[in-house]
Amino acid sequence: MSNEMLFGLWKDWRLHALVLITVVITEAIGTFSFTIGPGVVMLLPMLYALIIGLALYFTPLVKEKQSKNAEPIIVLGVSLLLAKIGVIIGPDLPEIIAAGPALLLQELGNLGTILIALPVAVWLGLKRESIGMTHSVAREPNVGLIMDKFGINSPEGRGVMAVYIFGTVFGAVFMGLIAGFLATLTPLDPLSFAMASGIGSGSMMAAASGSLVASFPEIENQIVAFAGASNLLSLSTGLYVSIFIALPLTEKLYKKMTKSDEDKKAA
Amino acid sequence: MLLKNIQEWTLLLVIFGFTAILGNWAGYDVMPLEAIPGMIVLILICLAGFILHKLIPIDFPSVAYIAIIGVIVSMPWMPGSEQVVAWTSKIELLALATPILAYAGISIGRSWTDFMKLGWKTIVIASLVLLGSFIGSALIAEIVLRFQGII
Repeated sequence: MSNEMLFGLWKDWRLHALVLITVVITEAIGTFSFTIGPGVVMLLPMLYALIIGLALYFTPLVKEKQSKNAEPIIVLGVSLLLAKIGVIIGPDLPEIIAAGPALLLQELGNLGTILIALPVAVWLGLKRESIGMTHSVAREPNVGLIMDKFGINSPEGRGVMAVYIFGTVFGAVFMGLIAGFLATLTPLDPLSFAMASGIGSGSMMAAASGSLVASFPEIENQIVAFAGASNLLSLSTGLYVSIFIALPLTEKLYKKMTKSDEDKKAA
Repeated sequence: MLLKNIQEWTLLLVIFGFTAILGNWAGYDVMPLEAIPGMIVLILICLAGFILHKLIPIDFPSVAYIAIIGVIVSMPWMPGSEQVVAWTSKIELLALATPILAYAGISIGRSWTDFMKLGWKTIVIASLVLLGSFIGSALIAEIVLRFQGII
């Protein structure tokens, strides 16, 4: 974090007051849930907070300055969130060590994005953009990797940026909606989904584990501890999985898929 | 310079913490007075992480220091960890997440026009990317946890 950016941000009372009011209102509204078939969808206060914040941007209450100032404060908020996740992991550390093999191996599950999203991207007619889009969940380290390898104005760079923007704007909301829904819909254990919640983004992890907790309150601490530990692992290993496995695999599969297309056309 | 930094960090963390404590009260019925010790602990952990990040000249993110310090001070083998856990358990995780997303909403307003340009194909694929990663990880976790007999 570049600290110069932080200087004087505490004086932006308009920004802090707007956030305070938003938070109190959304927390007072509380969580709503509804069912689709056998699954439960959770609407969490953080979802309303994002929407109200976004709406505020388009009112005269928020000027360009508030919007710029808000960005570095998110990093501080995520720091507090990670401190809290740390003290939830601590007491459960023996349990987490016991579950170590599962935690480590499920990191490879992030490759599921290639298997599910890449064929659809190619099928929808996207070209090399699909490599940037589907090689990973496109958080900061992955964006950095693609920029480094292909450049920002390459098709791959545009692809990874598109998914990055989607993740930034809607990632937390999307994860919050699908996590509780899938955990109530499928026979998989909520703890498996807790581990899956840690995909390397603090807010997506909080949203996903939050909606799991709302569905399974009796194992709250275990869910958050597993999700938090998995998120830390994703943050530290995600880049290496991308470099050594995900990106080469995506490129190879992309070539295979587009080649068979060309063969068909040629035939 | 470090002192000036610490002062800025502290002010912002206190403002953020204040908002979170009020949200914690409105949403989870925890009286602010009960929540203050836990928030102070969390703020101190953050400050310790930021300071270590500044003092240690290796490229290790401050959030990683913070998470590790959080784990260390609350491990069962750590003297006083029970008190740390008792205090911080008064702060709901989601009460910290809500203000983050409120600031995030105000901040991403600026990228909204970019977002609107993405088009439906991108949105379909980006959703599948998150879904694929989530389901892939859950399936592997399920298999290994069952194999280990944990679930």
